[in-house]
Amino acid sequence: MPPSMRWSSVIPSPQTCAKQICPNAHLRAFSSSTRSNAGRTTRQRRLMFQWLDSQGAAFRDPLPGSTNYLTAYDNHGVLKRVKMARGSDTSSKPADEQIDGDELSTLGAKSNDSEEADEASNNTKTGGDENRLPPEGRGDRRPFPHNKSFYSEPVLSEEFREEIWRRIMKDGMSVREVSATTGVEMRRVGAVVRLKEMEKAWLSSGTPLARPYAQAVMSMLPQTQWNTRLDARRPHEPINSLPVHEATTLQIFEPTSESRHFTREDAARAFDENLLSTDERIPHPEMVAKEKDLLAGLPAELVAKRARAREDAEIEAKQKQQDRIAKKEAAIKKVDTGRWQFRIQEVKVDDAGVDGRGPRGTGWRYGTPLMDRSRGQIKIPTRVD
Amino acid sequence: MPRSRSFHTLKRLGGGKIRQSWNKINLYNLSRLLSRPAGVTHYQQKWKAKSTTRAYHGEQIREKHWERMFRSRLRAEIPMDINYLARHDGSELAAGRGSGRETRPRDAINLRTNNKKSFRIPYMHMTYAPMERRLDTAVFRSLFASSARQARQFVIHGKVKVNGKKMPYPGYMLNPGDMFSVDPEAVLFATGAPKDQEAVRSGRRLKRMQQHEARQEAEAQKAAEIRRTKALEAKRAQEEEENSQQEADAAALKQERENLDEAQLKKVQRKQINELVETAQVLIRDTQNEPSAKRKVELRSFVKSAKTVSNKMQRKDPEQVDKEIEELVTSFAKLTPSPPQAGEAAKREAKASKAAAEEKEALDTEFKKEYQKSLDAIMQARYAATDESKPYATPWRPRNYMSAFAFIPQYLEVNQNICAAVYLRHPIAKPNAAEVPSPFGEEVQQLAFGWYLRRR
Repeated sequence: MPPSMRWSSVIPSPQTCAKQICPNAHLRAFSSSTRSNAGRTTRQRRLMFQWLDSQGAAFRDPLPGSTNYLTAYDNHGVLKRVKMARGSDTSSKPADEQIDGDELSTLGAKSNDSEEADEASNNTKTGGDENRLPPEGRGDRRPFPHNKSFYSEPVLSEEFREEIWRRIMKDGMSVREVSATTGVEMRRVGAVVRLKEMEKAWLSSGTPLARPYAQAVMSMLPQTQWNTRLDARRPHEPINSLPVHEATTLQIFEPTSESRHFTREDAARAFDENLLSTDERIPHPEMVAKEKDLLAGLPAELVAKRARAREDAEIEAKQKQQDRIAKKEAAIKKVDTGRWQFRIQEVKVDDAGVDGRGPRGTGWRYGTPLMDRSRGQIKIPTRVD
Repeated sequence: MPRSRSFHTLKRLGGGKIRQSWNKINLYNLSRLLSRPAGVTHYQQKWKAKSTTRAYHGEQIREKHWERMFRSRLRAEIPMDINYLARHDGSELAAGRGSGRETRPRDAINLRTNNKKSFRIPYMHMTYAPMERRLDTAVFRSLFASSARQARQFVIHGKVKVNGKKMPYPGYMLNPGDMFSVDPEAVLFATGAPKDQEAVRSGRRLKRMQQHEARQEAEAQKAAEIRRTKALEAKRAQEEEENSQQEADAAALKQERENLDEAQLKKVQRKQINELVETAQVLIRDTQNEPSAKRKVELRSFVKSAKTVSNKMQRKDPEQVDKEIEELVTSFAKLTPSPPQAGEAAKREAKASKAAAEEKEALDTEFKKEYQKSLDAIMQARYAATDESKPYATPWRPRNYMSAFAFIPQYLEVNQNICAAVYLRHPIAKPNAAEVPSPFGEEVQQLAFGWYLRRR
């Protein structure tokens, strides 16, 4: 069938056509086709932009001097803590309990109940004096309204990281010591120093740092500030946490006599033959030992001396272990060709076992399949040294 | 794996899927999320819970892959009080109970607090903990990318290194202690505000111009190289007559080994000079606060002198080059404009940073150097300039709606200055807190956990 006839008077002129399809076409210097659904505004889309212009407007830009999460606002887009402050202007919060004692024991003792108390200290960064925001609470630091267990925990401030680096690299303190005195986990202390070293290398080689990004991100996150005053210092995180061992997740019935002095060691042994007790599984057993000495009423010099002796013993044990590893490594004959390092070791044929398929056997063995071509084998590296 | 058309969906209340992204649609959906999944039967509830949670946790991974990753074992840690451990050996919990003692000693009660509910460990929130080990997820969690998809793209495009080695696999499972770093330019692009149309167009124009210049320079260099090799060959032919070839080769190898350290040092120095030249060129091109004609002339003459140093450094002693670089830096610092006073917020920030800087100075005076100060001033000038060759809006500012999603979980230690982070340990649950960032409530998580637990 031939196409239907069209009268020229019916066909609109190109100009009017363009105007109808895209009202803003005359504003552009070039011609372009618009997306098919660009002009389509569904009800949901309209509602979303309504929300973004009203309640959601607060999230567009960061809140100066504070975090800016969904849970900090009520349904009308008003900061909950501002509303609270307006409601109870006259009543003031009771001051946090004072803490005293020496650096190490203070932080250790406070690590358990610090979670609720550390809010005020973490909120040293505030806006201008005239329209100062009330300090944010832990409840304001939940990014997800429905997940009541996830909080945006404070990160170490730049100054704090610098202080940790200085203590390790300049003062020559041990990681364990720095962790105990600053209230930062040992693994984190190591990571901070490692990253800081890299940062210093970048600085000295003239590689530009991502400063604007770092400043913006740090202003959006809650921070633990470094406090030079010892009594005002709070631990960054609990440093003496006990990992829940799989063997202890099952309830067991352990019959024992009433008169038995059933300690933590006995409890560990009841769960598993090889399970160590709590005192040995926590990251800082030396803090417990020191606390014991203090409770026993030993003089301060003796406590310090015993602590030093324990530290020396630990260093010696570590050195011994390293020596053992070095000796084992030295026993391997190495031939360096420049392109490859050959490592020549003694191998016993018997290692392959009676059936020749033992896991310690060396070389390709007849009848033993190579699994690397079979289905489901993960080919991506599992570690990078 | 193509991104489906409806990645960010707008549905009726609670219908839109939540994604690992900083998109505004995602934020809107998050604000309207329903606490309980719809569904009548238990099976329907489980299915729905699995479907909504998987849309957030690793939606880029096939279901089979995740099923292999899933572990029923959930990690937890309990903070210990050293004072309590020092005072008791554990026997106080059982002592005397056979002879009628009903209550525990006060210490033991305090250890776990009176209210048992406040000591609950939210294990169910740890359902998707293995997902957090993936490299792409960790990059997103460190705030180096604006979505998990983008993080995955960065990994695939070779912008992410693990322990200093390129790692192109987004599914690489990080081990505790692994350090990963992302190309800072990619991070600035991902987290920065986008350019407007006009800036995009002028950026393209600039790029075309630069490409043309680079081509011309390369040709000139090639010609010079040919000339140089010809001269060298002639010289070597002359030498060959005097010594045997073998001897010369051995000597050259020895010389090369000796020069290796020096060559590396010179490479670093050249990089330093190149950075300075690049910064000067950015300042010349700055469209927002265009330098005056006089300053432009000064900057151009600086570029020329820096290039002269760079060209002649091969023949010089590294220490002397260092001195020359220092001179360049101090002369350049004098040319950089003072940072503009943008507004109240900037002033306040500057005040705060000044106070912090003062304290820092008090802490270590040995690192206070005039040279370092000059370098900082140069860098500041570069960040404040409008550089249209960048793929993001300059001067850099964070993208909209970023602050609502900005948090760093505790299992990561991030250094934003170098865009690198360390995966400290696997995520854990603690009393009243779980480290896996997830927008869903405990009920939904529990149902999802139940779904994956079946047949196990």
